[in-house]
Amino acid sequence: MIKINNLHCKVEAQDGEEKPILKGLSLEVPAGEVHAIMGPNGSGKSTLSYVLTGRDGYEVTQGEMDFSGEDLAELEPEERAAKGLYLSFQYPVEIPGVPTLTFLKEALNAQRTARGEEEMSAPDFLKLAREKAKAIGVSMDMLKRPVNVGFSGGEKKRMEILQALILEPKFLILDETDSGLDIDALKTVAEGVNTLRADDRGMLVITHYQRLLDYIKPDVVHIMADGRIIKSGGPELAHELEAEGYDKYLTEVA
Amino acid sequence: MGVITHTPAEQTLIDLLDGAEDWRAAAREAVVKFGLPTKRAEAWKWSDLRRATQGIEAAGVAGYRLDGSAIGPQITLGAGEEMMLDLTATAGVGIAALEIHVPAGQTARLIERHDLAAGAFVTARLEITLGEAATLERVVISEIDADAVGALRTRVVVAKHAKYRQSAVSFGSKLSRHETHVSHAGEGAEVDLGAVYLLAEGRHADFTSTVTHTGAGGVTRQLVKGAVAAHAQGVFQGKFKVEQAAQQTDAKMTHRALMLSDKAEIDAKPELEIYADDVQCAHGNALGAIDETALFYMRQRGLSEAKARAMLIESFLTEPLMLIESETLRERVTGLLRVRLGEMA
Repeated sequence: MIKINNLHCKVEAQDGEEKPILKGLSLEVPAGEVHAIMGPNGSGKSTLSYVLTGRDGYEVTQGEMDFSGEDLAELEPEERAAKGLYLSFQYPVEIPGVPTLTFLKEALNAQRTARGEEEMSAPDFLKLAREKAKAIGVSMDMLKRPVNVGFSGGEKKRMEILQALILEPKFLILDETDSGLDIDALKTVAEGVNTLRADDRGMLVITHYQRLLDYIKPDVVHIMADGRIIKSGGPELAHELEAEGYDKYLTEVA
Repeated sequence: MGVITHTPAEQTLIDLLDGAEDWRAAAREAVVKFGLPTKRAEAWKWSDLRRATQGIEAAGVAGYRLDGSAIGPQITLGAGEEMMLDLTATAGVGIAALEIHVPAGQTARLIERHDLAAGAFVTARLEITLGEAATLERVVISEIDADAVGALRTRVVVAKHAKYRQSAVSFGSKLSRHETHVSHAGEGAEVDLGAVYLLAEGRHADFTSTVTHTGAGGVTRQLVKGAVAAHAQGVFQGKFKVEQAAQQTDAKMTHRALMLSDKAEIDAKPELEIYADDVQCAHGNALGAIDETALFYMRQRGLSEAKARAMLIESFLTEPLMLIESETLRERVTGLLRVRLGEMA
């Protein structure tokens, strides 16, 4: 589903200087699998999520990113979204003045149009939104409010998963979805994510802590440091990391 | 003082005003002596009227029409009336003037549209007086030709306990000057001034206002928001003057604008001039660019860059329009913004 080969990426900092962040990252996530990426701060985890989704300022200098047979680097962010790539943001963005329902209806119909499907009618969309919101414990009242404005950290993360439930992407990248969540919210969000697990859908779960992986059980765990995957293994690798910390891997890189 | 050489537009204006009385005589005198204002005049430094009217020579026809009919120099509104006021002008130099009175205790709504043809230069004066406890809502929609010039000045006298609520939308032109000067009697009187400007490439709009509080306890709220494309220019000059007698004045002025390009120009001059010691007056002014993080977030959800931009600009600009009481009218004005944003994408 997603194949990343020897990916190098540099990022333009605010002062205009370019810094290499990804340094030959290779990763393959087949359909139906959930992979986790764990790594210390600054290892390039968030950069990977942005370069895959096409954020400005994240430039691929070498390597390939293939999504279901297509070269991602050739596509605009909205084209990648329409092909089914979804990023749950570490810091979901507030958009004052745009009601969440309006935003999601516009987004869903933009994706459908791009895929050559018919737009969803307003009543059908409302029915869909109501059903999915209920499943993840979000009130319709919240959906009438502007996107993420005034929401707590936990509410924002819940909204990210609700958006995924409505947009039904083929591949999800969850960037630090557990941060800012208490244990009850974490369980609800994980339940939402688990309902999205399917044979034709892949997921990449980016996290600093092992805690989230108790609820979203990965098939494979990768450890990332200094812009590369330095070790891959089964779910037991996450527990090993939790017990021993990242130090061992950092010294290996150094 | 040296004798100035008049431009053709100035000469036509002088001829049109020949033999006039009241403000027209004073205006004629000023043009004879100094010509039209240039950027060297402090109040016009970002709106050079003399320069903008270059190339306009002959006289044109301009005037106000109420509900589609020509009207005399004075009208009285009241009894919950809603009136459509149109300022129209053909190419050439034109003058329009109207006095509007809302008697004490009466309520009225005025929807004002500007329709100036290419090559028109209009000097317009509107004198509005509100009697005690009168209410007037004025909604101004200024959609004029890109090649028209408007110097549109409104004076409003607000008596005690009266309410004046003005919402203006301008899409600019070669030069569009919207002046509002309010004399605010306080004593329970309230003034709301909302304005929005959305300027496509090459256009100019200038919102200049003064609110003078003369009596105690007056409330004024002013919110002006704009978005300006490349090679376009937005101007905001707002002044609150609080006289010594106007204690307990509560006045707040905010101007916020988006630069849609590095080549956009926005000039702002908020001013407070306060002679009373027990007042609450504040002004805020902020210029910014579109939030690139929000733009990426929206595109990641599948919206095209153009659509995402238009949604962000629209949501930014509509805040002052919340003043408009009628939901239908508010939707109509928002619809106009949306159409323009679509054209600018």
